[in-house]
Amino acid sequence: MKKPSHLLGLGFMLPALIVVVLFFLLPVFMTAGIAFTNMSTDTGITGGAYELTPNTIHNLRTQGVDNNLLAQLETDVYRIDEPGLAALATDMGDKLAKELGDTHGGVTFQSRRELERAIKKLKNKPRSTRKLKKAAAFFKRSILNQRFETESEFVSATRNLGLDLAPEHQEVLSKASYTGWTWTTENFSLMTKLPSTLRIAGNTVIYVFFTLTFNVSFGLFLAITTFYLPGKAAATFRTIWFLPRILPPVIYVLMWKWLTWDTGFISTFFGQFGVPAKNWMLDTNFHAWVVIILINGFVGASMGMILFSSAIRAIPAPMLYASEVDGATRWQQVRYIILPQLRWPILFITSYQTLSLLTSFEYIFLATDGGPGKATEVWALSAFHQALANYGGNLQYGYGAALALVLVIIGIIASVGYLRVFNFKELVARPRIEQ
Amino acid sequence: MRILLDSFTKTFGDVTVIKDMNLDIKSGEMLALLGPSGCGKSTTLFAICGIHGMDGGRLLFGDKDVTSLPSQKRNVGVVFQNYALYPHMNVWENIAFPLKIQKRSKAVIEKEVQAMAELVQIEELLDRKPVQLSGGQQQRVALARALVRKPDILLLDEPLANLDAKLRLEMRSEIRRIQQQTGITAVLVTHDQVEAMSMCDRIAIMNGGKIVQLSAPEEMYRNPSSDFVAGFLGNPPIAFLEGVIKDSHCHLHGGETRVALNGHAQKVSDGQKIKLGIRPEFFRPEFDLKVKGKISFIEAHGRENLYDVVLDNGDILRSIQNHDAQYQLGQEVTWGICQDNILAFDGEGERL
Repeated sequence: MKKPSHLLGLGFMLPALIVVVLFFLLPVFMTAGIAFTNMSTDTGITGGAYELTPNTIHNLRTQGVDNNLLAQLETDVYRIDEPGLAALATDMGDKLAKELGDTHGGVTFQSRRELERAIKKLKNKPRSTRKLKKAAAFFKRSILNQRFETESEFVSATRNLGLDLAPEHQEVLSKASYTGWTWTTENFSLMTKLPSTLRIAGNTVIYVFFTLTFNVSFGLFLAITTFYLPGKAAATFRTIWFLPRILPPVIYVLMWKWLTWDTGFISTFFGQFGVPAKNWMLDTNFHAWVVIILINGFVGASMGMILFSSAIRAIPAPMLYASEVDGATRWQQVRYIILPQLRWPILFITSYQTLSLLTSFEYIFLATDGGPGKATEVWALSAFHQALANYGGNLQYGYGAALALVLVIIGIIASVGYLRVFNFKELVARPRIEQ
Repeated sequence: MRILLDSFTKTFGDVTVIKDMNLDIKSGEMLALLGPSGCGKSTTLFAICGIHGMDGGRLLFGDKDVTSLPSQKRNVGVVFQNYALYPHMNVWENIAFPLKIQKRSKAVIEKEVQAMAELVQIEELLDRKPVQLSGGQQQRVALARALVRKPDILLLDEPLANLDAKLRLEMRSEIRRIQQQTGITAVLVTHDQVEAMSMCDRIAIMNGGKIVQLSAPEEMYRNPSSDFVAGFLGNPPIAFLEGVIKDSHCHLHGGETRVALNGHAQKVSDGQKIKLGIRPEFFRPEFDLKVKGKISFIEAHGRENLYDVVLDNGDILRSIQNHDAQYQLGQEVTWGICQDNILAFDGEGERL
């Protein structure tokens, strides 16, 4: 009997497990992995090839690689080898090819003129200059802008140039010319160096702090005021304040935009009093922040309102009666009886919303997209921009993932901390408000 | 302080729960509002303390009309059924709360709380939270909190309902002691007739939103105004026999037995249906109006035994006797009714 019941339990758990694995563990592990790569649109997400481009040479030069070596890599050389001779033979006849092979086979010329001079001296030399140039072209050997699928092909190609590279130089060259992604910790060192990191961290603190304050205090205000209203009016107000949450975010934010556009409601309204029209959302950084906090705040406050309302209604009515006959005014009742008993719901909402605000960016993305400038660019939005909506067009998967990983780590640490504070076992054991 | 309810009316929505009720409570008196659940006794109490507004009538404390005064300003102390202590405050803070609200000085609060703690004998519990207290201790704290600001009136809403039997007994005398010691006017709401009878100076028995009878416990027991009152007071309860009047006697239904109606007979005419109430202590072997029956049930109470006796016509009489009487279940007995103590009621249940 024991085994089937165990399986039953597993069966019930399975959907949850699948969801946790697919939508939590997998993304977290992938984020953690990608954070330690330099993946981007450039590198692609599959493997790469070896290709030396003028750009690579330029980069190597700025890194202080030997200039002579680089010059050699850049210039074309002419090498009399079998593939060249074969091509020459099919185009201009065996005789010329054979003679050139016999006289100069294996020789490398540093410029085209040298090779042309050598060909001119041959018996079977081409008659016209045009043909001469064409013949020489068959032996042009360059490594620039050529793709090699493997490193060994690339290395042998450099050898073919007649370059004699030291192993360490060869390694630098291979690394620089690799077009795929590689493992690296550079994302994190870059993060500590970039001034924008500090900016988005500061923005995140502003965003979380003010939105949270608004959420909790406005949620409390709504819960307490609707508690004292008669039933139907209270239900109506709660429904109205719940609308932002049940509205699709895009429509909700669109309505805010409509409200704040320079041809929108606010501008039109104030236009009546001679105030020049402006975009009330993006006019200044301050405007943007106020709108962002209100947009997020009204959504968050509804959740606080619901939770606080039910917590207040869980307070036994005689306790409120008692405080009234004890002489407490409404305000004193709120201050001394209701608020102290909402301690746990308030703490819960605060911690829960801190976490969700840290990682949320959808309303900012829809409203200001981090603007004006980068004034409202928060950490999560920045991660999104870097990885998935980069303005430059080169999506920095690696760097974006690194940014996201920081959030994941902060979130996990905070969650563990909150569970400690709440003494989770006690919290799920018994409602706090009962006597 | 005297409390006067003058044609008090209370409605909830379309339902009139109490209509034109009058009640005069003397200063220093402890009055019980007794009745079955739903009779309006708690509603009356909530109206007196101001938690529910009144839909009609006046309420006077002394000479002062407090009808439209909010509960905060009425200066009443209330003990609720579940005590309604503030769970986030310790005992000291709970008792001090009404004074803290009044912004009294620290020294005064300290002194008053201490005095109250001594009165209700919980000095050693002041640091505890309500959850750490037993039911009886919570009750004492609730009493202290109700009394600390020296209210004009003390209201008790089923204060003993949540206590176990032994504690109930103890708190019964304890509440009475404190009430008498402070001399405060008190109203006790209860559905337990024993509480009402043992604790209060007078009882107002309520049914269906009306006060059916208002008198001292003893008087109410001996002289109930209706069969409802007679049935509500007394434990074990009174037994009723139905009969018809004939020749100034009551002939019990379907039986031979005739009961003479001393004094009551003048008020009734032949053929009228009436109801006779006989308390268990007035149906015993030694009384003279004999009736025959069969013992159908025996309940041992220790000092006494309670017998149910089924008469020939199927009516049941109850008898309470000393435990040493040896009767068996199913035994045929011929016991007597004490004719002087029969309570007769007319067809509507009014006392004859």
